Order: sequence, then structure tokens, then C-alpha cells
Amino acid sequence: MANWLAERCRVLWNRPVAERTWRMGLDSSAVALRIRPGQFFMVRLDREDPLLGRPYALYQVVEWPSATLGKALEFVYLVVGRQTALLTELRPGDELDIWGPLGNGFDVLPDSQELWLVAGGIGQTPFLALLQEITGARAYGLSPDRARPRWPIGSVRMFYGARSARYLACLGDFKSTGVRLSLATDDGSVGYAGPVTEPVAAELARVDASEVLVVGCGPEPMLRRLADVCRERGARCFLSLETPMACGYGACFSCVVSVRTGDGHDYRRVCVDGPVFDAEWLVEGGSGKAGQ
Amino acid sequence: MSQADITLEVAIGTLKLQNPILLASGTCGYVHEMVGAVEVEQLGGVIPKTVTLHPRKGNPPPRTVETPCGLLNSIGLDNDGIDHFIEHHLPALRGLRTNVIVNVAGKSVAEFAELCRRLDGQTGVAAIELNLSCPNVSGGIDYAIDPACTREVVSACRGSTRLPLIAKLTPNVTDPRPIAVAAVEAGADAISLINTVLGLAVDWRRRKPRLGAGLGGLSGPAIKPIALRCVWQVARAVDCPVIGIGGIRTIDDVMEFLVAGARAVQIGTANFFDPTVGPRLVGQLRGALESIGARTVAEVVGTLRL
Ligand SMILES: Cc1cc2nc3c(=O)[nH]c(=O)nc-3n(C[C@H](O)[C@H](O)[C@H](O)COP(=O)(O)OP(=O)(O)OC[C@H]3O[C@@H](n4cnc5c(N)ncnc54)[C@H](O)[C@@H]3O)c2cc1C
Ligand SMILES: Cc1cc2nc3c(=O)[nH]c(=O)nc-3n(C[C@H](O)[C@H](O)[C@H](O)COP(=O)(O)O)c2cc1C
Ligand code: FES
Repeated sequence: MANWLAERCRVLWNRPVAERTWRMGLDSSAVALRIRPGQFFMVRLDREDPLLGRPYALYQVVEWPSATLGKALEFVYLVVGRQTALLTELRPGDELDIWGPLGNGFDVLPDSQELWLVAGGIGQTPFLALLQEITGARAYGLSPDRARPRWPIGSVRMFYGARSARYLACLGDFKSTGVRLSLATDDGSVGYAGPVTEPVAAELARVDASEVLVVGCGPEPMLRRLADVCRERGARCFLSLETPMACGYGACFSCVVSVRTGDGHDYRRVCVDGPVFDAEWLVEGGSGKAGQ
Repeated sequence: MSQADITLEVAIGTLKLQNPILLASGTCGYVHEMVGAVEVEQLGGVIPKTVTLHPRKGNPPPRTVETPCGLLNSIGLDNDGIDHFIEHHLPALRGLRTNVIVNVAGKSVAEFAELCRRLDGQTGVAAIELNLSCPNVSGGIDYAIDPACTREVVSACRGSTRLPLIAKLTPNVTDPRPIAVAAVEAGADAISLINTVLGLAVDWRRRKPRLGAGLGGLSGPAIKPIALRCVWQVARAVDCPVIGIGGIRTIDDVMEFLVAGARAVQIGTANFFDPTVGPRLVGQLRGALESIGARTVAEVVGTLRL
């Protein structure tokens, strides 16, 4: 049986946090109570164009006394097209429809000595809630005795890259978890100048990579490079994919990615079998382009 | 008259539905994906994704593209084949407390007949819907663009099963009526239509189609007028029940299809963007019938005046 629900939510806040990047809080009852780090939910505005909902990762759930159940569900979005542009026009009190929680989430991550989170651009969004569980600051989901992430925060690192400093969003939230944070920008305006995968490669060369679990989320070329880097250095790598989705809950078979099987390849739905995948299972770092 | 006097039951041949709202094949997965979030037991029935004789990987992504008020898809009948379906999906579907209509597609007349034979002995299968019209897999030739082919497939299936047979037709023809007539003459108990409308989305900068497979099928609110026209034409040409499909997402849409001649309807793309739409429409149907003084669904079917 599926574990998601659909609900209509009131917008509690909606404000810009970085270049073309906004954060929105929703008065959610069903989804906020159930969702766990690495899971996502679908958002739809009540109109025919755009027709479909769009997927967004859980950013965090915060205590919000004026909300129906005292909880607000927050997501962070980058304005890239039609829905995200319309989202910026919403004001507190406006309503939208959501359904979730969807996907497997970070509960599928295997054990490791060290955990390195690698975010490209808006791919940073799923990592805050995971870090909050690691530090014990928050507990997500309905079963409080679910196994918590077992990494001490001292063994966790985060690498976060963006186009330029103006696009780095919500740095304060990440810093407040105490995670060791390394930044990179394409234009060198802050941190390493170049793709975020390069400092990861350099650091992996300095440690026993077999003890490191790398988890990546970001644009497809970055994920492919990250998977290659990890394979070369001998680190395990999991990727959280952001394929376009029509339904988000497994009904349409549109969100597929190509995975290796005993006799070649097959397609799997990212919305139900992912979005978090073992990179070794994916054909071509998850581009789905092989084996046609 | 009160809403309690209104009955929603409809009959599709020997198949009795508690109400005329069904979920369309390919738009509700294998249904377990929505159980818990969607009260499927409220529905007249569900139609899982098309099953083929052998497993099919399906088409390369991107498999869907959104278009104005519509969705273009080329999933390519991604499924694990009839053996897997019977072993793995059917047991779960049997437990749903709603009618399960199994949709099948063959690459040949023999495959269609074999699929029907395999389903014939299975409990929990209320009817079989023949997908004669999927535009994504057959390399341009669809059974349901030709009356003679349609007749051949349907009669082979008729010979392989006693289950009610629903022939699902394509709108990608000049006139759907001769095909519907052929299907009924060959033994179909009902006609469902429409499947998706063949289309193309272009990325002009890359000079490439937006879909991985090139062409795709258009669905959603954009195709509703085409679907209504096809339902109206076919309902007047055949003697059997017609099931209307295409762009349905509101109770007004449902009523429009009933009036145009559909005895039942299927909800497709709307499941994607409004997952609980089916049970909600069931809940709204009594009120809509009451508002025009009707006590049964049958009273309004085909009452369109031109
Ligand atoms: C599991 C998951 C979690 C996600 N989490 C977040 C999140 O937390 N924050 C966030 O901002 N975004 C997230 N996304 C991506 C987000 O869903 C898309 O940015 C959004 O659908 C864009 O909608 P739009 O209507 O604004 O753009 P559209 O008008 O639909 O598209 C605009 C342009 O963006 C491209 N595009 C659209 N969707 C994608 C995609 N998924 N990948 C690559 N290109 C795309 C289109 O091809 C087009 O060129 C997530 C996606 C997935 C699958
Ligand atoms: C993503 C998608 C997949 C579909 N898959 C199937 C299928 O496997 N078999 C089938 O008979 N019809 C399939 N259809 C067609 C629908 O069942 C329906 O006939 C069509 O979408 C029109 O209805 P709608 O506008 O309400 O979606 C599919 C439609 C969509 C959008
Ligand atoms: S988005 Fe519909 S199956 Fe994944």
C-alpha cells in the first residue's frame, strides 16, 4: 500500500533567498508528518497551464505554532520555467495542492565511516533534513524509533557548488548543523573556482576512499562526473536524481532511468524506486541514454 | 426526489458497475501505487497498464512532454509481460474491492488471442479491454485503423474468452464508426474511446523531437472535444455500450460524455495531476444527475440534441 496522501495547503511564507531562488513554507498536515529526508512531494497550482504538478525535495519541517498541526513544510526552489515562475507570485494565505511523501529517501544509504554530501546548485535541497537528523536536531517521519542516520557529524562533509556566490542559498541553515562545508563556484566568486566535483576528487585522493560514502544531487553532467570520480577513487556513490515527472507516484512510467540488469539494462521509475540510487546500478550515471 | 433515490449503477454487457467512473489504462499504474491515498473501492473499476505477452522495456526517455493543457507521451508499453502480471499484480488487484478490467495488447492476432486465453480462467478479472490503438509500438500500423484487422483481432479474442470484451479504439482515423461496427460485429461487448491523439513536440534549437521515441500520443483537457465527437459518432453507430475517454477531469466533463452517448467514462491524465479525482467525481455524480432531474445514469446517456 502506498504511503502518500494528497492535501490542499495554505502558503505560510514565500520569499527570495538567493539569485532566482526562493523558499516557501506550507501549512501541511499529512505530508509534513510523514516525510523523511531525501523524499519529495508534488506541487500543483489549480490551473490548466501548466497542467501537471512538479516535484520538490523536502527541505525541512519546522515547528510553526500558527499552522494547523503546528508544523510547516518547507521547500526551496530555483526559478527555471512556468510553474516555478508562478510560485514566486504566491502570497501567504494562497492555496496550492500537494501530494507526498514520495520516493525512497536517504534511508537506503548504506553504512560507511564517512559521509560526503555533494550538492550542485539547487541540488542542495535534500541535504539539510538529513543533516538535521544526523545531529539529532530533528526527527522526521511517523515512526520515531526508525533507525536514525548513524554518522557522527564530525565524519560528515558537505561540498556545495553553484554558478556564483549569488546562487548559494541558505548557507546559514547548513552551517548551523555544524557540518564541515566546502564551497565551489564556477566563476570563482567564492570557494574553489570550478566544478564542485573537482575538490571532491582531490579530497578523495587524500583519504582512504573505501571508507567514504559520497551522496550527490545536482545537474546530470555533474552527477555523471561524480560517479566517475568515485569509481576511479574507489568510493561508494549514491545519487539523488531529478528526472522530470508527470505524476510522482508511479502511475505514468515517464520518469524512468536506465539501470543495469543481469542481461543488459531495464528502466526503473525514479519516483518509486528512487530518487536515491546506487550509482553502480545506473547506466551512464543515470542519464538513461544507454542501451537503446 | 432526493439524492438517495438516484442510482449510479450501469451495465456494460454482463458487467455491472456500481458507478460509471473508471480509471484508464496507463494512467493508474498497477493501482497499488495509489491505494491508501485514493479510495479506489469507490470507483466503478480500474484498468491497469497494458499487458503484453512478453516483457517490454518500453521507450527511451524523455517519455512525456507537457504541451498546452495536455500531455504528449510515448511510454512504449513498458511492462513485464502476462506471466509476471498474473503472478505478481493480479493477486493484489483481486483484493481491491472494485472491478478490475485487464487491458492487453498483442503484436499479432495470435498474441491477442493468447492473452485473452491466459486471462480467461483467472478469478478477479471482470473484463478484458483490447488496446487496439496504442500508437507507440507498432511502427505505424495499428489494428484499429482498419475495420478488417479489427474484425480479425476481436473475433480471435472472442473465441478465446467468455469474459466481456471491450475494444479500445484510436481517434487517429478519418472515421471511427466503421471500425467500431466491425469490432461489435466480431463480438465486442463494448467500445471504449479515445486512446491518445498522435502528435509531435519539437525542440527546434536541437532540431530534435522532444520525446525520446519521436512521435507520441496527446492526452488531457486539450483532446476532450475530439473525444466527445468520437463518442457521439460511435454511440449512434453501434448498439452496444460506449465508454468515453479523453480529457475528463471535472464532473461537467463526465456529464458531457454521458449526454454525448457514453454509458461509462475513464479518467486518464487527470490522475497524474489530481490523484484523488476519480472518487471525487463519483461523489459529485449524484448531485449532477439530481440537478437535471435524472434518477439513473442511463436516463441521460445519449440525450444530446443537435
Ligand atoms: C525528486 C525531485 C526533487 C526535486 N527537488 C527540487 C527542489 O527541491 N527545488 C527545485 O527548485 N527543483 C527541484 N526539482 C526540479 C523541479 O521539479 C523542476 O525544476 C521543476 O519541475 C521545473 O518546473 P517549471 O514549470 O518551473 O519548469 P518547466 O517550464 O517545466 O521547464 C523549464 C525548463 O527546465 C527544464 N526542466 C524541467 N524540469 C527539469 C528537471 N527535473 N531536470 C532538468 N531540467 C528540467 C525543462 O526542460 C525546461 O527547459 C526536483 C526534481 C525532482 C525529480
Ligand atoms: C502516460 C500515458 C500512458 C498510457 N498508457 C496506455 C496504455 O498502456 N494502454 C492504453 O490502452 N491506453 C494508454 N493510455 C491512454 C489512456 O488510457 C487514455 O485513453 C488517453 O490518455 C485519453 O484520456 P485522457 O485524456 O483522460 O488521458 C495512456 C495515456 C497516457 C497519458
Ligand atoms: S512520475 Fe509518474 S511514474 Fe514516476
